[in-house]
Amino acid sequence: MPKQAALLPGTLDLLILKSVSLGPLHGYGVLLRIEQISGGALLVEQGALYPALYRLEEQDLLASEWGISENNRRAKYYRLTRSGEKRLRTETESWNRLVSAMSTVLHATTEEV
Amino acid sequence: MLRSIRLLWDRLLHRAQMDREMNEELEFHLAMRAKDLEKTGLPPAEALRAARLEFGAMERYKEEGRQARRLQFVHDFRVDVLYGLRMMRKAPGFTAVAVLTLALGIGANSATFGIVYGLLYRPLPFPDESRIAAVHMNFSPQNSPRGNLSVADFVDWQNGNTVFERVAAYSRSRFTLTGEGQAEEVSGAAVTAAYFSILDMKPILGRTFQPGDDAASGPSLVVITASLWQRRFSSSRDAIGRVIEVNSSPVTIIGVVSEGYGFPLRNIEMWQNVHLKVTRRGPFFFQGIGRLRPGATFERAQAETNLIGHNIERAAPGVYSNLKMPVEPLRTYLVGDLRPALFMMFAAVLAVLLIAAVNIANLLLARGSTREREMAVRLSLGAARRRLVQQLLTESVLLSLTGAAAGLLLAFASVRMFRAFNPADVPLAYQVQLDWNVLLFTVVIAMAAGVLFGVVPAIQSVRGDLQAPLKEGGRSGSAGAGHHRTRAVLVIAEIALSLVLLVAAGLLLRSFMLLQKVDAGFSAPPENLLTMVITPKTVRNAENPFAFNTGIISFYQRVMESVGRLPGVQHVAVSDSIPPDLAGEDDSFSIAGRPWSDQAYPSTALPKVSPDYFRALGVPLVRGRFFTHEDTAKSAPVTIISESLARRYFPDTDPIGQKIQASAPSGNNSPYMDVVGVVGDLKYWGLESESATAYYQPYTQNFSSTSFLVVRSPKPAAALATMIEREIHSVDKDAVVRSVLTMEELLGASVARPRFRTLLLTGFGALALILAGVGIYGVIAYSVTQRTQEIGIRMALGAQRSDVLKMVMGRGAVLTLVGLGAGLFASFAAARALSRFLFAIGAGDPLTFALGITVLSVVAMAATLIPALRATKIDPLVALRYE
Repeated sequence: MPKQAALLPGTLDLLILKSVSLGPLHGYGVLLRIEQISGGALLVEQGALYPALYRLEEQDLLASEWGISENNRRAKYYRLTRSGEKRLRTETESWNRLVSAMSTVLHATTEEV
Repeated sequence: MLRSIRLLWDRLLHRAQMDREMNEELEFHLAMRAKDLEKTGLPPAEALRAARLEFGAMERYKEEGRQARRLQFVHDFRVDVLYGLRMMRKAPGFTAVAVLTLALGIGANSATFGIVYGLLYRPLPFPDESRIAAVHMNFSPQNSPRGNLSVADFVDWQNGNTVFERVAAYSRSRFTLTGEGQAEEVSGAAVTAAYFSILDMKPILGRTFQPGDDAASGPSLVVITASLWQRRFSSSRDAIGRVIEVNSSPVTIIGVVSEGYGFPLRNIEMWQNVHLKVTRRGPFFFQGIGRLRPGATFERAQAETNLIGHNIERAAPGVYSNLKMPVEPLRTYLVGDLRPALFMMFAAVLAVLLIAAVNIANLLLARGSTREREMAVRLSLGAARRRLVQQLLTESVLLSLTGAAAGLLLAFASVRMFRAFNPADVPLAYQVQLDWNVLLFTVVIAMAAGVLFGVVPAIQSVRGDLQAPLKEGGRSGSAGAGHHRTRAVLVIAEIALSLVLLVAAGLLLRSFMLLQKVDAGFSAPPENLLTMVITPKTVRNAENPFAFNTGIISFYQRVMESVGRLPGVQHVAVSDSIPPDLAGEDDSFSIAGRPWSDQAYPSTALPKVSPDYFRALGVPLVRGRFFTHEDTAKSAPVTIISESLARRYFPDTDPIGQKIQASAPSGNNSPYMDVVGVVGDLKYWGLESESATAYYQPYTQNFSSTSFLVVRSPKPAAALATMIEREIHSVDKDAVVRSVLTMEELLGASVARPRFRTLLLTGFGALALILAGVGIYGVIAYSVTQRTQEIGIRMALGAQRSDVLKMVMGRGAVLTLVGLGAGLFASFAAARALSRFLFAIGAGDPLTFALGITVLSVVAMAATLIPALRATKIDPLVALRYE
């Protein structure tokens, strides 16, 4: 297994938004998808998932609906709302800018300074 | 914000269900994880256990889950409110102005709502009052639409109806209590047996009337109110069964009720039973009430009553013509005709609140520009725009609720005063209260106002470019153009609304002034005339207060003699009618030798007066003579007619010597009277009425026991009151004297309602004017501040002070003109809606419109002038450096 990185605080929300953007999921499905896309590199604290989901729903970034899961059980599915889409976009941009800036700084050698 | 409220509400209601759902979700999660673990080879029970361990502290996460849902909104709300309070404290000037404006606007609305709701909608003290009907009768063009029934009519109605559970008749009366203690007169009514059960008024002692108490013969019984019981009988239990003297006859007190509820008279304190004896079809004293059977509707009741009316008319042809018996809910009868005026007032006061809201919105927009930097910082840190708008709206609503709290004090005082003084002279004034309904209305309207004036500034604040305000030394208000346009539009709306209120106030004001100028027909100065109502003890009869008795005449003769001898008394007279609106009897009449029809001879005032009546009031004698002391019960019947009557019916002949008979000719055995004189017109039916015809009889030839005494003095007559009362009591110690008023006060009372309306609307108009002025000032002053640099540049480039002045005033003038234009249309519409309240002027009265436009323009220009002058004083050098 590749090295797992702990999540920086505040990034769980972004991951959830991204996962759900690819299609409606129930809570467990979000977990699986994050694991799948990151190739197992990201460690998500299972219990923290649900409070995060509820918070995002409260802020009208996710909408939920009860449905039937793959194995015929009742499960709550989350999908992205329009505000959620917008938030995902802006947060992703901010993240990219931050990462690129950090990267530049961290790769600076003595000559470039 | 609405969504959050909905969510919160949901959460509160479905807590248990949401917990169950959460548990289900988590169980599902664990089950799925367990299944995955099973695939790695673990047996199911082991897999589940492993899944649980993996998950971690289940309870802790559940708790976090619950918190994540419930407290988000509450948390946000708390933060917003605290922040809002801090913002209010930081800008005390702005907060004070806003709160004061809102207090006035919201307080006025609360008071008006209290009045409208109390009078028109609050349930009356009678249980199930919507099923109580008021029934009246009219059968000739001279009757008022809600006229009276006779005993015979009531009996027919009682026997013939099926829709009513119970019916009763009542007749307003005054009862004089004599015998022991001081003579006193109280308001009362003669009622039939079912009255108390229809209104569901239960006794607190003894009993009320029961079926049988209104039989043709039987004892005379009375029921009294607790206030009378306490005042006259010291609330003693032995008042029940006591025999007292009422209107000179013995009656027995059988019960006490807690109060009279102002129906059918304002301060009613006593009810006496009627003895239903049908002798003829008349006299017409009674009005009816009835309680509908369950399931019966007013439509059915009206239909059935129409049938009964039809039968009555057929049974007595010649007495009735075109008989109608209107049936309506009791509430409608009592306050129905107030509806238009009340709604007009409500509309006006809402307009004032709108104007106030616009002003505050403008203030907020101005302030919003100074908070741009704050908003820009927060937005760039990632705050959701919607969240910021939510917070700004919370601040606005907070401001509004604070204003509302202050406004409630104002409303409370207003309602107290309204109940105490009843300036509009309405029945049911006691229904107006400051209660939960008014409170709820205040909160709702405050929140609505807060959102209304807050939403535009809030949205404006979070829109726009983030970069400029954040730049170092960034000048605030760079998003000026959009702001300016919004503010301009708001001010134009304000001016338009103000014009509407000003025109409305102006129309009512002019109307009222014209009303007051109406000549009632007498020339004596009103403050020199004193009037009072006298009821002698000699003969008073509840069943027929119009009984004719020579004892009354000698009483009044003696009163006039002794009062006439008092110093300061120039003339003294008695009459049963007094201008401007206290008419006694009215009746039709016919002229000997001419055919009669009820269209040609409508009901006319028929005052019965003493010889000096016209001299006392100062009414001119046009022809012939006044009544003299030779006109007695034994001499020839005579009459004096008013000028307009003479003009209309005797245009080419001399009326003197003609013969007139009172009442319609059929079934009439009243004598023909000789016309002996023609006098000037007097108004008896109110200043606004057109009619001033009357024909008079000497009080010796036809009389009512209760009368007015009129005294004229060369000086203001109010001082003579006590002396005159003493004289009256020296003639008869048991005579009751009341309503001692000068003619000045009578004239004032006769226009109580128009005066109230006018006063209120003028107040609103003035308020609107001030607010509009402040609004314009704010917009122009702000625009000057924004354009300081520009003005500085212009001046540096050669513009004179006068050019700057013209530029600024020009902007103000444009706003005003557009506002006036818009307002003009609305004003025409409003004026048309007001036409029912106008007297002697049309809804399009050009003078009023011109005045309204002028006043508003002057105020607007004055408001513009101040910042314009300030603009001219800008020093170009300073301005150019100014950022």
